[in-house]
Amino acid sequence: MNPIGRILLIVAYAVLGLAATGRSVVQISTRLSEAPLPYLLSGASAILYVLIAIALWRGWRRVAIVGTTVELVGVIVVGALGYLAPDLWPDETVWTGFGSAYGWVPLALPVIALVVLVRGSRASAVVDASGGA
Amino acid sequence: MELYSGLIYPAVLVWCAVLAATGIVTMVWVRAHRVLQGVVTGMWIVTAIQLVTVLVLLISGNDAGIVLTLGYLLASVALIPLLGIGRLGAPDAAALDPDPNRPVLQPDQIARVDGGAALIIAIAAAVLAWRVAVLLGAA
Repeated sequence: MNPIGRILLIVAYAVLGLAATGRSVVQISTRLSEAPLPYLLSGASAILYVLIAIALWRGWRRVAIVGTTVELVGVIVVGALGYLAPDLWPDETVWTGFGSAYGWVPLALPVIALVVLVRGSRASAVVDASGGA
Repeated sequence: MELYSGLIYPAVLVWCAVLAATGIVTMVWVRAHRVLQGVVTGMWIVTAIQLVTVLVLLISGNDAGIVLTLGYLLASVALIPLLGIGRLGAPDAAALDPDPNRPVLQPDQIARVDGGAALIIAIAAAVLAWRVAVLLGAA
């Protein structure tokens, strides 16, 4: 994996993790009963962002790929449900509106991360194959 | 309050813009890394001044929610160490870590990582400063 891309992804996920953690801690600790689903989902997204940042730093490629895939599916599903079933969401989550409150970074970041991670996996496979031949 | 809304808050935004611009330049032209290091030092100073000013405003009886405002302030401080993340990939730092997956960066890669991190942190810090200003009623 390109080391520059890897570390910049770590920075991006750390920043997003910090933002989501702060938001969800305030929401869960002060107003959980008002909107349990959105606030718990914000908490889950915060944990996911931190996990992906750690996985990228430690080189846990499979964990990072699974985490970013879950994140991408979550953003798309929650974003779509926000329009299809607005009654489910009495308040916003990090993923509401496909991450529009965060400049759509929650939607763009997993796509970029998956491209970097899959390219890195393919490059490693080519190196392994040429080394084994 | 006039000091914060008229000087400190605009200065934070301007410095975030300078940090972002220097980050972009450093990613393209790695010799600007030295300039970026100076701008990063300035970012520490600007953040510290913002922290002290907002704390004084909160203590002196501003109506802003203390928990949210302090949360945003802490986040803006927690972001700043990420500006030096490129150093973690320096060969001497990586040599001390037994982790074989630890990235090892060449000097030009360290500069580009710091430039990219500066761009990301500048945007995040500007958003946080704006949120604090909104809470304080200055924006």
